[in-house]
Amino acid sequence: MAVFRLGQTWDPLRDLEHEVDRLLQGVNLTFHGVRTGRQYPAVNLHESANEYILTSELPATAPEDLELTISSGVLTMSGQRRDEGEIPEDRFRRQERPRGPWQRSLPVPDRIQEDQLSADFHNGVLVVRLPKAPQEEPRQIPISSD
Amino acid sequence: MSPDQPEPSQDLVKAHRIDDSKSTASERYVFTPPIDIFETADGLVLRADLPGVSLESLELQIQENRLTLFGRVETLLPDDAVPLHREFEIGDFLRSFILSDEVDYERITARLSHGVLEVELPRAAQAEPRRIQVNAE
Repeated sequence: MAVFRLGQTWDPLRDLEHEVDRLLQGVNLTFHGVRTGRQYPAVNLHESANEYILTSELPATAPEDLELTISSGVLTMSGQRRDEGEIPEDRFRRQERPRGPWQRSLPVPDRIQEDQLSADFHNGVLVVRLPKAPQEEPRQIPISSD
Repeated sequence: MSPDQPEPSQDLVKAHRIDDSKSTASERYVFTPPIDIFETADGLVLRADLPGVSLESLELQIQENRLTLFGRVETLLPDDAVPLHREFEIGDFLRSFILSDEVDYERITARLSHGVLEVELPRAAQAEPRRIQVNAE
């Protein structure tokens, strides 16, 4: 996928586009973030009656490499896409999978019980459950009169 | 060896879609998973990202010289969950590859871990010269 998208490409620009692509590939930036303009990893957020559920597809990240923290309403997830063994670059016939460290911070909905957060990570899919804080009871304010 | 055929064959996609229409009313997405292929001393190794696919929901088969992987992804959400924000769709994974004769089909092995399928495609041993017995009448 090209980095620059111009309405009318003419050859010198296309060469530049290819050159920039090639350079970016060489630097091995996580192409999900830089090259497609989307942050890695992609997340979905769902709401059920008593919790919010955040899901994310994180293949090739081992559970021991995954870190989740929550602080002041911001959930930060970080990890590393890693495979077994070092494969020299010249051994690859095809390389489509991103690799390397990643991090993403997300604001979580209000009124979450941050200390009750739980996470489950199976088959490369992360499911984070954010229980809603119980509705506060309406509080009667006593009125005194003389 | 030229093992890769990037696009899944249309027939396969259709076949799976027909299956789906029998079991569930809603249409499912079918994605082409990203892969790596690299050479080792013993042959080739293929890795595919298949998040959400379990051992039970993965089908890996060889027919003729075509290796096909199909992984079914189940949603992990409760029925009453309402989407608030969506950046990716849930779907199944399908991709097929043409294997060359250099691969020893009998010794292909595969394993699945952390949402990544790894298929080892060992190189076939060099064909031994075979002596043909000539019988005299």
